[in-house]
Amino acid sequence: MGGACSRKRDPQVNEESLHRGVSGRFCKTGSLKWLGRSSSRASVDVKPGQGRCTSLMELCILKICEDINQYTSLSMLPRDISQQVFDELVYSQRLNDIILETFRDCALEDLNLGDYPGFNDRWMEVISSQGPSLLSVDLSGSGVSDSLLVQLKDCENLQALNFNYCDQITDCGLKYISGFLRLTTLSLRRNSSLTAQGMSALSKLVNLVKLDVERCPKIHGGLAHLKGLTKLEYLNLNCCNCVEDADMNDISGLANLKSLHISSSMVTDDGVSFLKALKKLTLLNMEGCPVTSACLESLSALGALLYLNVSRCRFTDDGCDKFAGLKSLKVLNLAFNDEITDAILVHLRGMTSLETLNLDSCRISDEGMENLAVLYCLKHLELSDTNIGNNGLQHISGLGNLESLNLSFTVVTDGGLRKLSGLSSLKFLNLDSRHITDNGLASLTNLTGLTHLDLFGARITDSGTKHLRCFKNLRSLEICGGLLTDYGVRNIKDLTSLTVLNLSQNYQLTDRSLEFISGLTQLVSLNLSNSRITSGGLRHLKTLKKLKSLTLESCKVTANDIKNLQSTALRELVSFRPQ
Amino acid sequence: MSGETVKLISAEGFEFVIDKKAACVSKTIHNMLTSPGSFAEREHGEVTFPEISTTILEKICQYFHWSLQYASHRCAYLCKLHLSVPSGKETEFHIEPELTLELMMAANYLHT
Repeated sequence: MGGACSRKRDPQVNEESLHRGVSGRFCKTGSLKWLGRSSSRASVDVKPGQGRCTSLMELCILKICEDINQYTSLSMLPRDISQQVFDELVYSQRLNDIILETFRDCALEDLNLGDYPGFNDRWMEVISSQGPSLLSVDLSGSGVSDSLLVQLKDCENLQALNFNYCDQITDCGLKYISGFLRLTTLSLRRNSSLTAQGMSALSKLVNLVKLDVERCPKIHGGLAHLKGLTKLEYLNLNCCNCVEDADMNDISGLANLKSLHISSSMVTDDGVSFLKALKKLTLLNMEGCPVTSACLESLSALGALLYLNVSRCRFTDDGCDKFAGLKSLKVLNLAFNDEITDAILVHLRGMTSLETLNLDSCRISDEGMENLAVLYCLKHLELSDTNIGNNGLQHISGLGNLESLNLSFTVVTDGGLRKLSGLSSLKFLNLDSRHITDNGLASLTNLTGLTHLDLFGARITDSGTKHLRCFKNLRSLEICGGLLTDYGVRNIKDLTSLTVLNLSQNYQLTDRSLEFISGLTQLVSLNLSNSRITSGGLRHLKTLKKLKSLTLESCKVTANDIKNLQSTALRELVSFRPQ
Repeated sequence: MSGETVKLISAEGFEFVIDKKAACVSKTIHNMLTSPGSFAEREHGEVTFPEISTTILEKICQYFHWSLQYASHRCAYLCKLHLSVPSGKETEFHIEPELTLELMMAANYLHT
């Protein structure tokens, strides 16, 4: 334990779009977002009976939280302890006006109240009472306004402020924020009030390392005020559709910039040319920008670049020879550039450090695949929605480091899958395609390290499910081709590591299936929509104590049936359908 | 050091003689009994806590034993010896509300 360990001030950098691919472009399972919480549990992380023994400190914190109404103040506690109590109350969603008052003058360092319901003016008094001790505040989604920001003026040591989705903060509010000269992190996502003029206040924040103004539509021209922020390493301008080439010129002198996000902005090849001086840039996210292959010439000057996302751009084969200048890349996302053909793959041959390659929906086929055969470091390969067929798989059969592979909506058939049998590092495999049947599954049985297997649309029958027994490590499984019956589900019952199971669209499944599923006690998400499940069968799910998401659309089950189950047995359930 | 027990002495001078293994659930006590700098503690197997009252120290000793018992049950379970693992209330360590704050301060000091 220890308060110092509980500090997490980094903004939640969503680089999913960069690494996106094999783990699922579309969340077919439904409600998976609930499987992870946005607020991370900082301190008390275990309950009795879940592995290691709970420490006395943890027990005491849980006890105080349980009896919190009996305390009027916790200011007598050392700061690191009261911090842990506070974090636990936030995590367990027990904080309210009265309880928050208990923490007045507690010299807390971190108040991570992002997306916490119930914020009002009185909260700000307690927050500001932490005074110079306060180092980070997250009030994202809170409705905090300019006038309340004034109250923070005594918190002169603030290092991190997160005010994402706080529409009531305007340019005027930025003036108050500019007084926090020790600020290293500032996040103001989705604020339609901020303008270029308001951004001028940020010029005083010379210690700023991370700035996030994603989805701020009026900041065009404002980046000129960042010129003096030479410590800036991270800048997020994603979805600022006002940002254009001239803005890139304004940030071209930020020599320490390591991570730049300009996805869905108006930046073109001309704008990218201003970035040539950013010699420390390791990550560039240009997803959805109107840039073409011509920008590669500018990017070749960025010797430190490791991550490049140019998905949904306007790349064509013409000019792609310049990829040869980006040999150090580890992650390359070219997805949804549907004019890219096999011709460009030859230019990727030299990228021998490449670990992630996303070619989703590019116009590539078996012909170009031989160029990938030498990319031995590849761990993640996304070939979804391409014309790759069985012959193409031959060329990746030697990529022994491959951990995830997406072949959904390709023309690969059962006959090709045996070429994957040597990929012993594979953990994620997506075969969501009507071309795949039981025979294909049979040729994969030595891939015993698989943890995620997506057979969403594959034509798997009861007979094919016997092969699943080989995949003892499976944590996620989707078979939704409509051909399974209860007999098939019997073969799934021994996959006790499963946390996510989607058997929806198999309309023949009955309550008998739930009996088999009842032993899968690690399940966090279960989807059996469009089946013959009835409310009578729900009793079998009482053993699934970890279940957070249950989807039973178009079954003979009502929302009340599930609510009853939730209140009597499934306390962890946070998302269910029908609602 | 005398055998496998140690003596923990409270602010009021009450002495608790417990298994060394139990006491070492506390990282602080473990360090006191093993580090080269704590000669007296190592030599005599005694640790005095001038800041911890008798009531709290007794509760802490109870926790040490609860913790060991818990660990052994886990171990037995994992070894598939099919011993019955206590469930529900039996596995809970009860803390009296009036002791919580003081106990928490002590737990923090003892790194327990």
